[in-house]
Amino acid sequence: MSWRKWNRWIHRELGYLFFGMTIVYCVSGIALNHFVARHWDPGIISRSASYSLPAPLTKSEVNREVIEGILSLTGEKRNYKQYYFPNEDHLMIYLKGGHIYVTLSTGEMELIRIRTRPFFKEINYLHYNKPKKLWTWFSDLYAFSLILIAISGILLIRGRKGISGRGGILLGIGILIPLLFLLTYLWL
Amino acid sequence: MQRLLIWVAGMVLLSACNQTGQKEEGGTPGNMEEVVSATVEEILAQPAEYEGKQIAISGMVTHVCRHGGQKCFVLGEDGETQIRIVPGGDIDEFKIDMEGSTVAFLGTFKILNVQQSTALIEDHESQAHHDQEMAHSEAEKADYFIEAIDFKEVTP
Repeated sequence: MSWRKWNRWIHRELGYLFFGMTIVYCVSGIALNHFVARHWDPGIISRSASYSLPAPLTKSEVNREVIEGILSLTGEKRNYKQYYFPNEDHLMIYLKGGHIYVTLSTGEMELIRIRTRPFFKEINYLHYNKPKKLWTWFSDLYAFSLILIAISGILLIRGRKGISGRGGILLGIGILIPLLFLLTYLWL
Repeated sequence: MQRLLIWVAGMVLLSACNQTGQKEEGGTPGNMEEVVSATVEEILAQPAEYEGKQIAISGMVTHVCRHGGQKCFVLGEDGETQIRIVPGGDIDEFKIDMEGSTVAFLGTFKILNVQQSTALIEDHESQAHHDQEMAHSEAEKADYFIEAIDFKEVTP
């Protein structure tokens, strides 16, 4: 079998085999990008609702009755955990799955409910190598296979659209762009 | 009551760690490092006394870092002082639902050197979500912390 047939075989077979892994890593990679850029946390869904106390309070006026009143108002009695004062003007009431943040001087309250985002929690778990052990080896195998898929891909097409023609130009551009970012943001 | 809680939690955690050690090393009693039970205030009053020691500490978790759960903050008995806890050993991350729970931690108290401390503050200031001063900000920028190797929720 000629090397081109082997090349096509590698590209095709590994491409099919690791399609799922590519989706996992790419989607979680996009999520991580925006997570790092502080746009959002992909693993968490956060919902907030606003409430108001009947009247403003001071820290010294907060007691068990006040806490129970807040929990009744927000419907969170059965989720109560503990409370504390981050500072003189705020009260933090912790709940199972969230918290209530109270500004004492204005009586404004914000109820935050937090839960994990399905699908993203799972793919991030894999991308961040949380399972470790055998998963580390399997994901190394995937990474190595991606290199083979990439190399076999650039050698797939012959002629003016291949690496000696337009393909080569696109290859050069694809390498130049990250180098330019490095030059701009890291090296200079 | 708080001290009793800390001692009990510390002994539970230490016995769990010691059993693991015995399985891996063939069981040599007496290799156990002494665990010091302390409150947040005691540690921060004399940090040099506790540096490098295994500490058992317990308190309410006020905040878990949203970026990967790589740190959390425990409130002292005075309701104001907080200390930073980072995951070590086999702990990958702290879960957000630990917030508001009383948790017992077992770990090593560490103090950063000047270089590490400077790097920590630079990293802290470069992150957009730290623009607002929070109750745990002082602990987050402090050069002292506990690297936890085990923890247990005492009250959910």
